[in-house]
Amino acid sequence: MPQSAPAEAASYADRPDEWLVERCREAGGENAFAELVRRYRGPVFRLAVSILGQEFAPDAEDVTQDVMLRVHHALGTFRGEAKFGTWIYRITFNQALNVKARVRYRAPHVSDQALAALPTPDRDPYDRLQNARRQQAVLACVEELPEVYQSALRLHYWLGTSVGEIAVLLDAPENTVKSYLHRARRLLHARLAERGFDER
Amino acid sequence: MNDDELMDQLLRDAMPAEVPQLSAGFDARVLRRVRPRRLTPAGRVVIAVYIVIAAAATLWLMRDLQVTWIVAAVAIGTPVAAAASVYGRRLAAGR
Repeated sequence: MPQSAPAEAASYADRPDEWLVERCREAGGENAFAELVRRYRGPVFRLAVSILGQEFAPDAEDVTQDVMLRVHHALGTFRGEAKFGTWIYRITFNQALNVKARVRYRAPHVSDQALAALPTPDRDPYDRLQNARRQQAVLACVEELPEVYQSALRLHYWLGTSVGEIAVLLDAPENTVKSYLHRARRLLHARLAERGFDER
Repeated sequence: MNDDELMDQLLRDAMPAEVPQLSAGFDARVLRRVRPRRLTPAGRVVIAVYIVIAAAATLWLMRDLQVTWIVAAVAIGTPVAAAASVYGRRLAAGR
């Protein structure tokens, strides 16, 4: 006896990705694709945000949607040689980089007045401005790092993602992610020193 | 505090407090885009009536033409219509 649509959709929650992909290829595989979207929309969005950065975070939702549509279109070519997650994160990484290259020119200039008006714990306006400038410099230096370092830093420090999940998103072992973070901090330290910021 | 710990703290301070979220209804929007679009029964009737009228009008307009002109028109018109149809479907699918 055929299952009702909600019961069928609920039964998909426990199924592995590969089974869902097979089901998507069949006629009426909409519930299987819905489960894949539900499963991967959050990680794909976080990965896209981590690559696009703060200024272009609103574009991350478009990237996530494009990735889901591309995946749906390309499911027929997915051979299962890599895990489905690895495949979708690779598509996301490339798609986000393409979008970033396209929208980079939109990055706004932040004036000193705007920096001084940022809410910080410092009472003295000079300290507040210095602090804001330092934070702005940190974010600007992050932008100069290799993409994979930028992504790891934003995932860890901004989005609060665990090292284990970053490893999955970036398709790298956990120790490599720890090494990315360590090297990124060292590079940032050097870049900030070049700009005349002493973080002590 | 060593340099690494200082950078760690500086990064925590510099990152924005606000974490972006996907908007509500994201799933529904994606699924609407991938759902195959099917004509309603009324739409099918409209298309069928249009085809019959267009075919009749074409035959009536071409009644005095030589066969060579009719063959040429079909040879040019069919691939153009097929290409336009494929392009239209791709456009509708957002690819």
